[in-house]
Amino acid sequence: MKWPTSKLGYTAAGMTVLAAVLVPFLLMGLFTNGFTKLGLHVDQMYSGGPTARTIQEDGYTVTIHKAVYPHLLQTEKPFVQLDWKPVNALPQHVSDAVDVDGDGQPDVRVIFDVPKDPKTPLRVDVDTLNPRYQAMRNVGKQKFSELIVRVDDAILVRVPLTGR
Amino acid sequence: MADAACTAFPGRTPPRNWGRALLLTLPIALWSLFMSLRGLMQQDRSLQIASGLTAAFMVVLFYMMMKTSSTYRWRRWFFVALGVLFPIGFIHNVMVLRGSMGIPIEEMIAGRTPFCFLPIPLLILPAALTKTLVFPGSLLPGGGMSGAGMAAMAGLWLAITLVVGKGWCSYACFFGGIEEGMAALPKKAQWKKLDPRLRLVPWAVLLAMVLLSLALFEPAYCMWLCPFKAVSEYVAARNTVGLVQNGIFVVLFGALVIVLPVLTKKRTQCTFLCPFGAFQSIFNKTSVFDIKIDRTICSPCVLCQKSCPTMSLSDDSIKKGETLMSCMKCGACVDACPKGAAVWHIRGTQVAVKPERARLMFLYSAWAMAAMFGGSIITQGLATILQRVI
Amino acid sequence: MGGPFLLGEAFLLGLASGPACVASCGPVVVPSLLAEGAGWRLNARYLTSFLGTRLLGYLLFAVVVWELGALLSARPAARTLIYGGIHVLLGVALLWYARSIGRGCAHACAGSGLVSIGRVGKRSVPGAAVLGLLTGVSLCPPFVAAGMRAAQLGSIAAALLFFAVFFVATTLWFVPFVGLGCVQRNASVIFVARTAMVLVALYYLFAGIAMLAGRRIYG
Repeated sequence: MKWPTSKLGYTAAGMTVLAAVLVPFLLMGLFTNGFTKLGLHVDQMYSGGPTARTIQEDGYTVTIHKAVYPHLLQTEKPFVQLDWKPVNALPQHVSDAVDVDGDGQPDVRVIFDVPKDPKTPLRVDVDTLNPRYQAMRNVGKQKFSELIVRVDDAILVRVPLTGR
Repeated sequence: MADAACTAFPGRTPPRNWGRALLLTLPIALWSLFMSLRGLMQQDRSLQIASGLTAAFMVVLFYMMMKTSSTYRWRRWFFVALGVLFPIGFIHNVMVLRGSMGIPIEEMIAGRTPFCFLPIPLLILPAALTKTLVFPGSLLPGGGMSGAGMAAMAGLWLAITLVVGKGWCSYACFFGGIEEGMAALPKKAQWKKLDPRLRLVPWAVLLAMVLLSLALFEPAYCMWLCPFKAVSEYVAARNTVGLVQNGIFVVLFGALVIVLPVLTKKRTQCTFLCPFGAFQSIFNKTSVFDIKIDRTICSPCVLCQKSCPTMSLSDDSIKKGETLMSCMKCGACVDACPKGAAVWHIRGTQVAVKPERARLMFLYSAWAMAAMFGGSIITQGLATILQRVI
Repeated sequence: MGGPFLLGEAFLLGLASGPACVASCGPVVVPSLLAEGAGWRLNARYLTSFLGTRLLGYLLFAVVVWELGALLSARPAARTLIYGGIHVLLGVALLWYARSIGRGCAHACAGSGLVSIGRVGKRSVPGAAVLGLLTGVSLCPPFVAAGMRAAQLGSIAAALLFFAVFFVATTLWFVPFVGLGCVQRNASVIFVARTAMVLVALYYLFAGIAMLAGRRIYG
């Protein structure tokens, strides 16, 4: 019997046309909010992980993030991200001993120059005072887990963990 | 003669007079005007002109669809314009903001990688299992090239897909128009015999990329196979492997988007590679609209099969009176059928009974989406060109 | 030898690592399972063969780890070379497997046995067994974590037992794959599975060669 299915079909088609009208006014916003509320977050391998604490230095701050551990089969190493901000308040040569794990003892010494031209590639040396962190020599931005980059008004350094 | 054809082939809708066509176009005209209001009210003169031109373009095309009772060639104008103007606007923005099409690692860390719809199926499993989005973008607007954010693109995709199903690939995808334009250039195909099994490759690509994306926790298709990085942006190569990845997408673009469409007159990237297209095919099962073949009228001359840009009509499917799951609802087969056996259809209704009603209802939905989404992209592209000229 | 706490630790570690094992084996298991015949019994035979040789690979690795101590964890360069080599072998095995399906019966859905990729004497070697062995010795992070723990144990028997219990716990996560037997098999499904296998194989080959050449995959 075709009559009831035809009615259903036309009703569904009509609702589809109505849905099309509602997309920019209701549906798109509804679905966008829905996706936002799912509690998803961008992979910390990209974002650097949530902030753990901030240290006040002379005119600038050093923000320490929580350690990021790779998921499943990601090939990157676990790392911790440190942010120096604002860039224009940094001295030309930065050499800071940073207490990463908050135990009152410095864990790494991070050394880098701040070039005047923001397009100049950055390089960083990291001396480890705690075997939990990996030393770095003249590192640029090869890997997500081991780099120094300038992002907006901050210089980000990622120090890999050794796993010890 | 049109009336005689209509009587002989009841599935064919005769062309309309201009009055009726105008009346049927009126809702779309109002919609297009409304969609372009924001652009028309801008101070930027090039944006004003671009908005007006786009609205007029969309209205004229719809009017022609109503007047001639054919769909494909008018839709193709819109789709090619979208495919050509999107890269113009996008690449211009990228060059202004970054000076390069290569995405530096800083932008990825800052979450300013623009999110297109292609990685959506790859992100589902990692998101479902670990609540993590394995894409270096921002959920909400993050400045720079992040645009409206990943949530907005996902919301837009879901909304439009609910309305048009796999019609996304004919009315919303801002990449497919390039190869559709290339396929339209030659009069005849040089390569006519194509292995029908190749239609299944996008499913294999989807399966492999979904599994690899979960294993590696990254959007594997974006990293390794997406040919459209050639007309948008790509991860700036930091080593030899990165160079190889970039080489792959250049080769794929050249082959599947430029050369093969010219040789075959098919949308070869869509038909033989795109995993997103395979994913969208699933929504053809839920879509209200489809295309059917009236077996009582069909010869079969298989002109529909030859005209289909994505090989979505096989001998078996024609015998069954339906298209394959990969049908993009572009209307090529309906327009090509000399007897009007290939018709637009609404699920649950009788085949070839008032097919024009089904077509109208589908086109109102699809064109509204096209004007909203594609129209805004066309406006941006046009404005980019006009800024150079005015 | 190993107390209940040690076995409990191995089991819990395996349970926690199971999703990672499934995700890492997924690109290998899913296409090859789909390429086999339909029916949950045949798929269960595939998984038995795959997991059996995967256990063999685990136990072999346990012996190596015990003999070499913490060698593998202390030398990432050596680990990268081994990982790269296994990737290449996996890629080759997958390509061979895909080819063997094509040369087998035209309709694999009608086959009653597992796809064979070679012969040892008179016995055919199921592709599932080869893939299982190679994924078993693949140095994925959960596997290395288990290896490092096993290397600290007092005897090789303890290390073997630790790995066996770890293996059993990860195997629980593979059981749902039997459900793939309910997917209808036809020429299209087999073609998709074979093509997916080839694509995954190409990735493994490329990644393996890049690792052996000392090149980073992603910067």
